[in-house]
Amino acid sequence: MEYVGEHLLPGKLGHFFVILSFCTSLLAAVGYYLAVAKKNSDWKFLARYSFYLHSLAVIGIVSTLFYMLANQMYEYHYVWKHSNNEMPMRYIFSCFWEGQEGSFLLWSFWHVVLGLIFIWREKEWEAPVMATFSSVQVFLSSMLLGIYILEHKIGSNPFTILVREDPEFAHLPLFTMPDYLENLDGRGLNPLLQNYWMTIHPPTLFLGFASTLIPFAFAIAGLWTKKFNEWIKPALPWTFFSIMILGTGILMGGAWAYEALSFGGFWAWDPVENASLVPWLTLVGAGHLMLLQKNRGNVGLAMFGLVLISFVLILYSTFLTRSGVLGETSVHAFTDLGMSGQLLLYLVFYLALSIVLVAVNFKSLRSTQVEEPFWSREFWMFTGALVLFISAFQITFSTSIPVINKIFSLNLAPPTNAIEHYNSWQIPFGIVVLIIIGFGQHLRYKNNNFKQFLNGVFTALIASLVLSIAIGLALKIKQPFHLFFMFASLFAVIGNIAYFIKILKGKVAKAGSTIAHIGFGLMMLGALISMSSQENISTNTSKFDVAQLGEAFSNAENILLMKGDTLQMGDYHVSYLGKEREGVNIYFIIDYFLKNDDGTYQHAFQLKPRVQTNPRMGNVAEPDTRHFLSKDIYTHVTWAILEEEKDDPNEYDEPEIQNLKSGDTVYLKQGIFVLDSIRRLSVDESELRANDIVVGAKIHFWNFDTEEFILEPLWVLRDTNSTFSIPAENEKANIRVTFDKINPSDGSVDLGISFKKGKQQDFIVMQATQFPFINVLWLGCIVMIIGTIIAIYSRVKLNSKSRAK
Amino acid sequence: MKRTHIVGIIVIAVAIAAIIGSLSDSSTYANFTEAFENQGREYHVVGTLSKEKPTEYDPETNPDLFVFYMLDKDSLEKKVVLHKNKPQDFERSDQIVIIGKALEQEFHANQILLKCPSKYEDGSPEFQTPEEIEAKKVTV
Repeated sequence: MEYVGEHLLPGKLGHFFVILSFCTSLLAAVGYYLAVAKKNSDWKFLARYSFYLHSLAVIGIVSTLFYMLANQMYEYHYVWKHSNNEMPMRYIFSCFWEGQEGSFLLWSFWHVVLGLIFIWREKEWEAPVMATFSSVQVFLSSMLLGIYILEHKIGSNPFTILVREDPEFAHLPLFTMPDYLENLDGRGLNPLLQNYWMTIHPPTLFLGFASTLIPFAFAIAGLWTKKFNEWIKPALPWTFFSIMILGTGILMGGAWAYEALSFGGFWAWDPVENASLVPWLTLVGAGHLMLLQKNRGNVGLAMFGLVLISFVLILYSTFLTRSGVLGETSVHAFTDLGMSGQLLLYLVFYLALSIVLVAVNFKSLRSTQVEEPFWSREFWMFTGALVLFISAFQITFSTSIPVINKIFSLNLAPPTNAIEHYNSWQIPFGIVVLIIIGFGQHLRYKNNNFKQFLNGVFTALIASLVLSIAIGLALKIKQPFHLFFMFASLFAVIGNIAYFIKILKGKVAKAGSTIAHIGFGLMMLGALISMSSQENISTNTSKFDVAQLGEAFSNAENILLMKGDTLQMGDYHVSYLGKEREGVNIYFIIDYFLKNDDGTYQHAFQLKPRVQTNPRMGNVAEPDTRHFLSKDIYTHVTWAILEEEKDDPNEYDEPEIQNLKSGDTVYLKQGIFVLDSIRRLSVDESELRANDIVVGAKIHFWNFDTEEFILEPLWVLRDTNSTFSIPAENEKANIRVTFDKINPSDGSVDLGISFKKGKQQDFIVMQATQFPFINVLWLGCIVMIIGTIIAIYSRVKLNSKSRAK
Repeated sequence: MKRTHIVGIIVIAVAIAAIIGSLSDSSTYANFTEAFENQGREYHVVGTLSKEKPTEYDPETNPDLFVFYMLDKDSLEKKVVLHKNKPQDFERSDQIVIIGKALEQEFHANQILLKCPSKYEDGSPEFQTPEEIEAKKVTV
């Protein structure tokens, strides 16, 4: 059949680029390897140009995929799967990396960018470093191949799979029409990713991932060429660049979770979050050991271990999130695309390479038998790096429970309260690291005069002790571990400020690391305060006692807000005004008021948490947060009536049957209902006949505006055996009453009471949390990033100076 | 003994403690039979919503209480009391993981995880357009 309107050229072009990128990366890897092994500059030349060509191919793949997405070519599976007509164009980047293929492509793209800069800047180390670099590109390019070798699928190609040829869909009648494209729309982007954070978080995180390759490739090059220490100097700025970018990427993920996900916080110890945090921790340790090895030596083995494991952990984290092994334990893991075998091979290859190279050089790396003095910078830097490593180990082990299950076929479930579990381990580790940060800079390398050292840190120690007691009392933090953690983070901040003023005399150019450490301390301080004294202010105001179900279950986090009602919540009074529909979003408008001393209300602010409706992938609730300098008020809707009233509002709902006697009163949600009297009537109505027996029930009904209504439904007995009711209605009160039955035994009657559906009230169930001083956390992040940039800058300057000599 | 050795021993000790700690903190996946035999112990139970039985959620009385019936993997049905709000989209889930403990005849859960139908499962509903209906006629 001839199909109309399909664009086949971009797919062919894209696939050509895929194959080109694979072949050129292979050629570059072999070329660089031979250039080192044979010390031959012809090979290096060939490899370099292969890498240039490889870069062109990768950029070609990226551009082709963007072109297809921008032109909505749904004949391509990838485009169809990740975008649709409804989606605004500003999310095109999110579509690009929603799928596994796209995110591998993004990763590969950053490698290419970094590789090109590397070739330009670091001529001396080009061949041995780029050999590893190119070999990684071989693996990444193979992820996009999508070819079969011996019935094993290698990679997943984002270009060739035309929707109509996919075995899953080929049988569909739609594809029997030559112009099927006219009627085809994509599946669309996951609503969670339709957020501006998702446009900037993945590229930053992947740049972080990609940049960890450089210290790794340097370390491999060092071991391979037996230049065990010479690589450290050029590798240092790259390593701290990597620490900075990876850290920023992780924090952006936290910011995304805080702003757009209903986690109720910025860090939830989710497996996917953990998987990217762990390599960062080991890389920070690695960076510090590299400094130590360069300045003092003696830690070669530990340094190589940490540098190499950081990259291997990046691969492990990719494996965890992409292979589907996390399955039930994480909300945002990818499903398996059949590439887990390939990912495992990738992981095992670089793990084995690292182990073999370290083992071969073990003798030369062993430290000499010199004892470091206890009060020396090297001893505490080393200890700090070790603590980071153990902290990473603990997180990895707990996160790997699904993997342990798979290997040993166990049935373990992750800790029920993940946050508590991880905090109970990580807070003590954090305390140790923060205290080391606080005094570490005051120590010099080699021997120190203890009195002089104590002089330097004493003021900082006292100041942080006083401050932490004051803040602890003010914010009512009672948990001893939290208080201790607060003291440690304040000590890290103040200790470094003291160092900056006393020793560095305020010279910013030299203070990169000091500023970065201040930032880290602030970040931890902000995290601690906002986490430990975060307060759920939306306690249930209903009469129902949740605590009667047992202490473990008193879980009143939600508040119910009727449209138009105003309820007290924390320091505020809140009112739900109604909902607004805008495209796929439903906004819930909530007004916050403050009560003045004279009892009047003052409008404070308005929040609009929303629910993004998505019939295909499920609706997603997005919180809305009001930021103040000293706190954030975070709200999110946990339950709401999303449907527009489908039923006719003039229809009556199911009647509620009440058994009543004359004079009885019923309290209803809608008002007060009184059966005044029951009486025999002789009514002359068209429906009735002369010999009918007619009984009326006289009713008074007061609604909540205290208006009174009188109604009289009738009960009719006809020909001694058939009965029916003539209901009474009142349009204004929206009530309808039927007279169903007379019970002769006790003289009571059954009345059916119903109200109009449309008059049922709209309501939402909402959660609100107050995060105090969360801005300290964000301030700390920024300070840390700035400090690291200063440190990188001065090191790059230093390196190029020494090169010029 | 060298100081580095002491540090090394401490590191190994903490690492072992971390392993034991995380294994003892970990919960277990179980079916209802096991959970109800061990009353009051915390379990993860995987199952599906029992679609025949009604669910109860009355946010006007208590927004933090939701009652439903769940079938575990062995198709044993139990009443589940979730001490949380009813998750939006609850009915759409094809797999439920509840975390909590059995108390007498009810399972009291304080956490719930839903797995919604996989995006990769089948593509047919996407094509339910008027054109498709027309196309069906053509093939007949």
